[in-house]
Amino acid sequence: MPEKVNVALAQISCKVGDKDHNIRKIERYVKQAKKKRANLIVFPELALTGYVCRDLVYELAEPIPGPSVHRLEAIAKRENMHIVLGMLEKSSKAKAVLHNTAVLISPKGFIGKYQKMHLPTHSVFEEKRYFRGGYQTPVFDTSIGKLGLIICYDVFFPEITRLLRLKGAQLVICISASPSVRRGFFEVLTTARALENTMFLAYVNLVGIEDGLQFWGGSRMIAPSGKIFAQARYDEEDMVVTQIDYSDMDRVEVFVPMLRDLRPELFDSLKKQAENL
Amino acid sequence: MKVPTLRLSPNVLKLKWPLVTTRIKRFIKDYVDKSRMKGIVLGVSGGIDSSTTAALASLAIGGKKVLALSMPEEETYNATDIKHIKMLAEKFGFQIETIDISPILRAYYDSLPIYDAQEKRGKGNLKARTRMTCWYYYANRLERIVCGSSDKSETMIGYFTKWGDAAADISPLMDLYKTQVRQLAAYIGVPDEIIAKPSTPALWPGHLAEEELGIKYEMLDLTLLGLENFLAPEEIARQLKLPLKLVLDIKARWLANEHKRRAPLTTKLGYRTAGKDFRLPYTS
Repeated sequence: MPEKVNVALAQISCKVGDKDHNIRKIERYVKQAKKKRANLIVFPELALTGYVCRDLVYELAEPIPGPSVHRLEAIAKRENMHIVLGMLEKSSKAKAVLHNTAVLISPKGFIGKYQKMHLPTHSVFEEKRYFRGGYQTPVFDTSIGKLGLIICYDVFFPEITRLLRLKGAQLVICISASPSVRRGFFEVLTTARALENTMFLAYVNLVGIEDGLQFWGGSRMIAPSGKIFAQARYDEEDMVVTQIDYSDMDRVEVFVPMLRDLRPELFDSLKKQAENL
Repeated sequence: MKVPTLRLSPNVLKLKWPLVTTRIKRFIKDYVDKSRMKGIVLGVSGGIDSSTTAALASLAIGGKKVLALSMPEEETYNATDIKHIKMLAEKFGFQIETIDISPILRAYYDSLPIYDAQEKRGKGNLKARTRMTCWYYYANRLERIVCGSSDKSETMIGYFTKWGDAAADISPLMDLYKTQVRQLAAYIGVPDEIIAKPSTPALWPGHLAEEELGIKYEMLDLTLLGLENFLAPEEIARQLKLPLKLVLDIKARWLANEHKRRAPLTTKLGYRTAGKDFRLPYTS
């Protein structure tokens, strides 16, 4: 496994409900990323369809793997690229069982998926109306490192990123569709998740306007020290390519050894308290 | 002592105006582009809301694509307002068309058997709705969208004519309170004379908003901000040193006017119902 990986953070705007249009745009960005020698390109949450799909989710969602994943597999293979993006997933067993899902595709094909666990249903968000929360927190051991996936609001819950780190993740990828009024929360929390786990965190946010919601972009790569060392523009479509060096984790882990100092007995207490809010 | 979750002071209504301006401009341009229409039509009165909207629309898509309809009528004609509209158009480069709606209104008055010249509300609303029909006529003819000027204060308390002045395809100021619109107006360069004028819906002679509402916008906005933030009326009254009855009246008015803000109510009979669980996104 290489120590160094080039990652493209591709914050795109999407045409709501138009998968064909969005896949064509994704392919253009993959080609650009390839020219910039990226090994991995990350797109936002629900990049295949746009975020505010409302009742259209029932017709837009697909099994994973399914037709759109197969198209993305062909692109990944042709461009020799790893791709992470968000899409609507439909259960093969029931029409109303949908997930807000991140998929990971390698040049050799589909690797795996993560189903969003924490579904925001407050303010302008209505995800629990449509989606079932996921139960799995896989870490994918790939040729470009050990990767964990989370989606947007998941980053407010430190448990999930910690769990991915304890399972061995070196790079946690957080895909997002965050509207502008919440920018401050994400800027703090993404840095915190990287630092408290001394690992890399790639955050890729949507841009554009959907139903009056303006998504703020600002995608970033955060080092194990919490330092933001690559950042895309705010509010506009943009892509930045940056290199991560997993050996950086070793040095930071010695300087701020949080994993060494973890106290597992607190987790039992946390569980009990959380059950009695 | 219990610490309030939100301290109601003018400071909390201050926003980052350069950022707000950018976001509103982007919103307007994005909507016009996606709708594939050729520009914007909007009604202008010479007041703060429509002046600020016309200026922002011009900054967003260029003044040549913004047509401001000035629609005076004989009862409320105000030469200063007309002068202000021209001054603003010169500064921001938008187009003006002036239509005297007095003959249209007189036709209504002559045609409606129950018309009562002394009755204010129905007559005032008729003026607002007459203007609205003209905006949409121009929008249809010129393949443009109608841009509304409603602010958050009047939207929350229902201080507008249903299907009249609030009717629009987009309303870029609808999430800003009146006192915030004043700050935004100053930031983008709306002339002071317009910002300083007392607000008026101009539905009848001498019609002044704060007089009719019985409260200054500075206090109304903070009261509404408290309600928006789930503060109890008692807490709002305590912080703002207002009579509790006044705060309760504002809250009652906010709740009672939900019918003005929504699609028409129906009773559920089918599988999916417009305005209830027929939940579709904007896809263009």
